[in-house]
Parts: sequence; C-alpha cells; structure tokens
Amino acid sequence: MEITASTQNDITVLALQGRLDGLASPQLEQRLEALVAAGTRKVVLDCSALNYVSSAGLRVFLGGAKKLKSAGGRAAFAALTPAVHEVFELSGFLEVLAVHPSAAAAAASLA
Amino acid sequence: MSAAVQLLPLTSSLDEIPRLADAVEAFCAPLEPGPRDLHALQLALEEAVTNVITHGYGEQPGHAFTLELRREERRVTAVLTDDAPAYDPLARAEVDIHAPLAERAIGGLGVHLVKKLMDSAGYERRDERNVLTLVRTFAPPAP
Repeated sequence: MEITASTQNDITVLALQGRLDGLASPQLEQRLEALVAAGTRKVVLDCSALNYVSSAGLRVFLGGAKKLKSAGGRAAFAALTPAVHEVFELSGFLEVLAVHPSAAAAAASLA
Repeated sequence: MSAAVQLLPLTSSLDEIPRLADAVEAFCAPLEPGPRDLHALQLALEEAVTNVITHGYGEQPGHAFTLELRREERRVTAVLTDDAPAYDPLARAEVDIHAPLAERAIGGLGVHLVKKLMDSAGYERRDERNVLTLVRTFAPPAP
C-alpha cells in the first residue's frame, strides 16, 4: 500500500496504490486522522490504482468520511477499479459515500 | 483441467494476510482468473482468517490453523479449519447496508461480503474444530 499526497488549493488528494487490507489499513487511518487534525477539510481519495479493499479498508474509508463530515468537511472517492467498485456496491457504500469517475471530477465536486 | 489441492498452514497473526493473498493468487493462477474473481476469493479469505484470529483466538499469537484450497475445473473451494472455541461467523446478524452515513456501523460487514461474494459458505463444528467452507466458481477466462 502506497499513499501519495498532493494538494490543489484547499483540497488534498491521496492517491492509493496497491492493497488496502487489514494489515495496511491502519496506515491510511493514521494519515486521514493527521490530515483532519492539521485542518484539512477536503480530501479526494484517488482509487485508480487501488486494486484491493477488504472490510478493514472500508472501515477506514467510512471512518474518514465521517470524521471529515463532523469537522465540516468532505471526502470524495475517485476512479474505483471494477473489483473495488463491486465491494462498495455490495456494502451499500455507493449510497453513503461520494464516488466520482475521476480524481478531477472528485476535486471539482469539492471546490 | 485436473483437480489440485494445496494445504496452507497459518498462524494467528494479521501479518499472515499478505502471504494468504499471495498463496491464493498463486493457487488460482492456472485458471487465469479475472480481477473480480481473484478479489472476491482473497477478500472472503481475509475476512474469514481475520475472524478466526480476532474472534476465535482472541488475537492471541501462536495458534496454528489451516486453509485447504481445492480446484476442480473452475470451481475453487477453500476450507478453513481451526481449533478455537466454537464460533460460527455466518450466524452474525445481517448488517443494514442502507443506513445513512452517520448510522453506518462496520461490524458484520466482512461476513456480509463473504456471503455475497461466495457461491456458498458453510460452517460446521466437527471433531472440536470450526470448519468453514467457501466455494466460488470462476468466470471463464477472457478470450
């Protein structure tokens, strides 16, 4: 699991690469908590290179989205691969999380 | 295509998850699986193994259990056997996947995904062991 961060104005884009499994998910959880603690309120999670997510990863996605929302911010998810999209769908996450076809569209939704 | 069987010994540590995923991928490689089939099986096994470690063995390290993988044509059967106290993960209450964000709980989501992604999932207590059997038939290989 590799996380690459970039910023565009007040939006932080986290590009996730690899596998978000039970072993890797604490790394993303800590990253999101640190961002919120540092005042970031708009986060794009670019999932275009994320080829695996389990319930441990879903828990971090949900927790991060809730934490941002309660701080007055928002999370936007972008470019889900087919396997990850299927897991979002089966979990009902497409109904509660903002999912966009591309990182650019996700960033535009937060602007 | 001939049948094949592989026995994978596991220990009660979440460090096993990447090794488990690699072993599943290697075992399924002759089927040339699509990403969804492989993802489904790896996810179901991560959830099941995590349940054994956290619920079955209470996150105590040092316990050994086994995963048997079996391949018949395009049907893959995974049998997870552990000697932890009796625990049926499939008996968990169904999660509400339509609850709004603020009310979404994550407990039980792993088992929900296992049930949705596998063609069948069965639990039995046999010879003082928990035996979880998961089956998924993979889609035909891409032409």
